[in-house]
Amino acid sequence: MQIKFELVTYDEELDRFELDENTYQIELDDEEAKTYDLLKSSDLHLYNWLKESDFFLKYIKEEVYQDSENKKFAISDINGISFIRFYFFKVTSGDSHYEYFKKLFNIHDESDWQDREDIGEEILQCLLTKRKELILNLS
Amino acid sequence: MDKKYIEKMLSKMDEDLSKQGMSRRDAMKLAGLSSAGLFMGATSASAAEEEKIVKSNAKGKIVIVGGGLAGMSTAARLTLNLDNPDITVIEPEKMSVSYQPGQTLIGAGIWDEDDIAYNRDDFVPDGVKVIKERAILFNPQENKLTTDKGQVVSYDYLIIATGLQLDFERIKGLEEAGRAYSSGDNTKLLKALGDAGICSVYTAEGATKTWEQMQKYIAQAKSGKKTKFVFTHPSTPVKCGGAPKKIMYLANARLKEAGARENAELTFYPNGGAMFGVPEYHDAILEQFKREDFKWHYRHNLVEVDKENKIAVFDSKWQEKGPWDPVMKDYEVIPKHEKIRVPYDFLHITPAQLAPREIGESDLGSAKGWVPVNKETLQHIRYENVFSIGDVAQVPMGKTGGSIRKQYKVLVDNLIALMNGKTLEAKYAGYTVCPLITDIGTVMLAEFDWTVKPTPSFPLDPTVERWVFWLMKVYALKPMTMYGMLSGKA
Repeated sequence: MQIKFELVTYDEELDRFELDENTYQIELDDEEAKTYDLLKSSDLHLYNWLKESDFFLKYIKEEVYQDSENKKFAISDINGISFIRFYFFKVTSGDSHYEYFKKLFNIHDESDWQDREDIGEEILQCLLTKRKELILNLS
Repeated sequence: MDKKYIEKMLSKMDEDLSKQGMSRRDAMKLAGLSSAGLFMGATSASAAEEEKIVKSNAKGKIVIVGGGLAGMSTAARLTLNLDNPDITVIEPEKMSVSYQPGQTLIGAGIWDEDDIAYNRDDFVPDGVKVIKERAILFNPQENKLTTDKGQVVSYDYLIIATGLQLDFERIKGLEEAGRAYSSGDNTKLLKALGDAGICSVYTAEGATKTWEQMQKYIAQAKSGKKTKFVFTHPSTPVKCGGAPKKIMYLANARLKEAGARENAELTFYPNGGAMFGVPEYHDAILEQFKREDFKWHYRHNLVEVDKENKIAVFDSKWQEKGPWDPVMKDYEVIPKHEKIRVPYDFLHITPAQLAPREIGESDLGSAKGWVPVNKETLQHIRYENVFSIGDVAQVPMGKTGGSIRKQYKVLVDNLIALMNGKTLEAKYAGYTVCPLITDIGTVMLAEFDWTVKPTPSFPLDPTVERWVFWLMKVYALKPMTMYGMLSGKA
């Protein structure tokens, strides 16, 4: 089977992500396809599996960012499962993104009483660490 | 446990029950409690538990910063569980163990300050040392701290249980109130609140003053003058999230009792957008508000009090749909603010609440000030020999005595496991309880945990207000806390 995925590049100096406008496809063997099926319902497990997979990194080095040593990037979509909110969340982002991150980062501590902006800032704070976990580095 | 005290409370409760034509046993049946339940004082259950304890011979100097309910209950339980405990509590306030959940009852004239005043020194477990100073500097890298009198205290294990501070000074017009603790000298705060309708039950003396002010404005309403009662809830986590509403319900009860309700307007101004974080309790409270003809305005945060003109100024917030964000594939949400001036006669303030400065500004505090701990094990996320419990711990929904009752057993088990080089296996699951007083004589027992679902201890609909839970609140919870928890058993 094939999976489609999209990427964002990371500019370390500016601490900023930029969209890579392309969509890529990669072929999975039977074992990889089984793993994909097992993990597809858990977005971050799926992400981590792909991030740690040799076949994925090999494909990126050979087909996507050739001759780009030390290039930093992250996955923004895997077969329609979007990770874009991790890189572009802002305090004015819509409620669905707030709900996702409140759950992910356990920010339900009295959040009903807190200002949206305060919770947004807390999410951004948590994302500083989370983004580091998501970024891949072509070494 | 103080049997005389229990007997006195039970006898008072029996008297009250007999007026309703009911025995204590009938009341227990009504609540779905067994005969060994709370109403019996749980003495036999505690004795059985005590027999089961196998003391650990783990060694190490344990320092507990804070001698309120969380700190002293933890000290007591550690002494029950360790063969040769070496425990020091650092607590400057003489009345630190006073029973804070009773402050709303004082605010409505049901109890007085003597009913909740307890001296720390009467609850110090045998062998526990108390340093009557305030810890102000923390050096967790070297396992040392320094007190306000310059004493350097070293430790092997540290437990932070300082409680929190009431931040009145952030309200314009009340800057001189400064920050306060629930216990201790609050003269500065009381002076700042004045004598013209502003009050807060968040300190014991403040609760007494609340009752004085409440009576004054009930009398005004009774005289025929339209009287505005305003109640606030801030933008920070607060201890006992139900308290801002409890005092409103009790003011309503007193107004009805005085035959003055029709001249009074009661309005709740919460910073949040709901009555309660648990949808089932939110719905129940909303129905109660409608039934009692309360008014409410969500997303209002008290930012200023114009004492001279009796105007409360709120930061009113709302959101508007913003532009389409093509990257996030969603509309943005634009926050809007506006200052709203609200005239009041009686203003009950629930202040913003923060971790004490010395914690927030130390390496032990998080960006928000609270002590960052693993929410299940209560161990500090950076310093493995540091734990935190109670109001100061960064634990979701954990700022109630009911939470502490679950937390302190977990903390003790995990601390002893750590001292023995074992894995920390005890876990706090987020249980908390809010006995929401809805009238004089009725309580809705809101129990819940991190699932944000009701988790009732009794086989009864938890959204129903019940007289039997009022009895539990007024008669049973205090002895359970003061003589059960503070002896490390309940």
